[in-house]
Amino acid sequence: MNSVVSYFSQTEGYQAIVKTLSELLGFDATSLVAFIVFGAVVTIVVTVLATIGGLGTYAERKISADLQMRQGPNRVGPFGILQFLADGVKMILKEDIVPRQADRFLFNISPLLCLLGVFASLAVVPFSSGFTLVNLNVGIIYLLGVASIVGIGIFLGGYSSNSKWSMLGGMRGASQIISYEIPVTLSILAAVVIVGGLSFGAATEAQGGLPHQWLIFHNPFTFIAFFVLFIGSLAEANRAPFDLPEAESELVSGYHTEFTGMKFAFFALAEYIEVFVLCGVASALFLGGYKVPFDLGTGAIFSEKLGLHPMLAKNIGQLLQLGAFFTKALLLYYVVIWIRWTLPRLRVDHLMVLCWKYLTPIALFNLVGVAVWMYAFDGQSFFALIAKMGAAAGGHH
Amino acid sequence: MFGSTLFIISALLTLGGAFMVVASKNLVHACVFLLASLFGVAGLYATLGADFLAAIQLVVYAGGVVILMLFAIMLTGGSQDLSNKYGLNKIPGMGSVRTYIAGGLSALVISLVVLKILANVIKSAQVGELPEFTTTVEKIGTMLLTDHILAFEISSILLLGALIGAAVISRPRKG
Amino acid sequence: MMTLASYLFISFALFAAGVAVIIARKNIIAMLLGIELMLNAAALNFAAYTRFLNNNYEGHIMSLFIIVIAAAEAAVGLAIVIRFFQIRDSIHVDDATQLQS
Repeated sequence: MNSVVSYFSQTEGYQAIVKTLSELLGFDATSLVAFIVFGAVVTIVVTVLATIGGLGTYAERKISADLQMRQGPNRVGPFGILQFLADGVKMILKEDIVPRQADRFLFNISPLLCLLGVFASLAVVPFSSGFTLVNLNVGIIYLLGVASIVGIGIFLGGYSSNSKWSMLGGMRGASQIISYEIPVTLSILAAVVIVGGLSFGAATEAQGGLPHQWLIFHNPFTFIAFFVLFIGSLAEANRAPFDLPEAESELVSGYHTEFTGMKFAFFALAEYIEVFVLCGVASALFLGGYKVPFDLGTGAIFSEKLGLHPMLAKNIGQLLQLGAFFTKALLLYYVVIWIRWTLPRLRVDHLMVLCWKYLTPIALFNLVGVAVWMYAFDGQSFFALIAKMGAAAGGHH
Repeated sequence: MFGSTLFIISALLTLGGAFMVVASKNLVHACVFLLASLFGVAGLYATLGADFLAAIQLVVYAGGVVILMLFAIMLTGGSQDLSNKYGLNKIPGMGSVRTYIAGGLSALVISLVVLKILANVIKSAQVGELPEFTTTVEKIGTMLLTDHILAFEISSILLLGALIGAAVISRPRKG
Repeated sequence: MMTLASYLFISFALFAAGVAVIIARKNIIAMLLGIELMLNAAALNFAAYTRFLNNNYEGHIMSLFIIVIAAAEAAVGLAIVIRFFQIRDSIHVDDATQLQS
């Protein structure tokens, strides 16, 4: 099975557990153990990502404070790092208000839809070569599909509140998300054309650890495609300068104006985790993902040079890969927050003009350009061509 | 075991969603239940080993059609306003017992007839051994660009036509 | 459990639900929802037959085209609905009687 379970099943302890359980229960416990391991890993991933989402709110406030020469949260815990826990307690203790005229069913379901879309997309995010929950072979399309549930959640949240601000925010959110899906998909397709596969595993394995082996520097078109993808992702996650659905200076707070307590927290959490997921996707597709330079990620070097146990070496490699992935994703996360506190918000029609008149044609042109490049240069990257030309020029002397 | 669990969940989601689309009086609720039903269909595709179809189903329906439907509902006055100018302000009742009995009986008869016709097909059907976790993407891609290239091109022209047509039709005419 | 008959039953129920929606509702958008259900039932049938009868993926292509057509149909249908609403201020099928002699 092509998932995280296959990584754990390489260990000796796993086989022993399966054997004992099979003898104990009287039937083949392979799938039971696999299910339990999978469930445990899913719990870990969801917990870690929820914590990252919570820390995202802290990072947002701290970085914005930095950019504006303020202190930021500094009371709860060291440097105020536990602020998100305090916020969470506050959210839980708040009264859960449902407006009288609201559509109760949709009002209750819309925060859950947002969270559902984000958590479902976590299934295919490649944290490391062994620690991808499922390496689906249609993972990229799957992610695009489930990520758009978030848009439906936002839209329904805006509609069900029965408030003008929420309604406008929801409409803006939905139109923005379905519009920006087109340039995002087209620029992801540019990567897919080079990789020749629709799974995140294949996309990452096609790249190397060093920057010149990344897809962003594969050719000039992918360089543009990465930025189109990044801008489109900002708009898809409703982040500034595209945070029109919750534009607080025009629409109070947009689609979640009427939400209180945990429902509001769900919206906020979904947004922060989605930003992380989109950063992770951008880094996996264009920035080498979990790849560590000099093949340290496979761990073969540790067992050869240092004489470590092969499995231990492999685990160290996996940890290095996790570190590489999270470093890249969190750096992008920092850029996202940085952009939010630097650039002013766009107007609605400017947003649509940017999408339909600039990003979509650029993305289309890029896709054709990448296809032509693949055909003309036989799929070699820019740097490989330069190296070849250098070798040829050297050969003449 | 995993496959049959997925099958049961997807089937329940599909059937429940479809039933609620019929039963719910609120148009926006019906849209949400349609989304649930279509997700169930995607799950059923996954149990059939059609991974590419399942993913495409998610993208097209969740990302495109359902949001488009919700948009159209909003642009045409929301779900509450079901009246027209002739004063017919209610959806024709689905609540009558007679309707359910007649509908159920006719459904039973039709399904029996259909099953009788299909009995031979079902008996002769065997579960073709699908290799585990192979990708259908490559196969479908190859087939689309070799055997089915004409249909592929025609469908792309159809989509372009639909795009332009939708834009032209829904644009308000000036003057 | 996972036999051809069960898939056919699900597809039948989906199609029946679609027909029921189209018969019962007078709202054009609701009728479009019904059409989506019916198209999905057909696509599911193709995928099921391909799995259980011959394993050559022809049915997947057919399902793919059905999904494409459903998307095109939804786009054009909803555009017509919106235009109709602009002219008639209603999305009720009983209001669309101008072509009736």
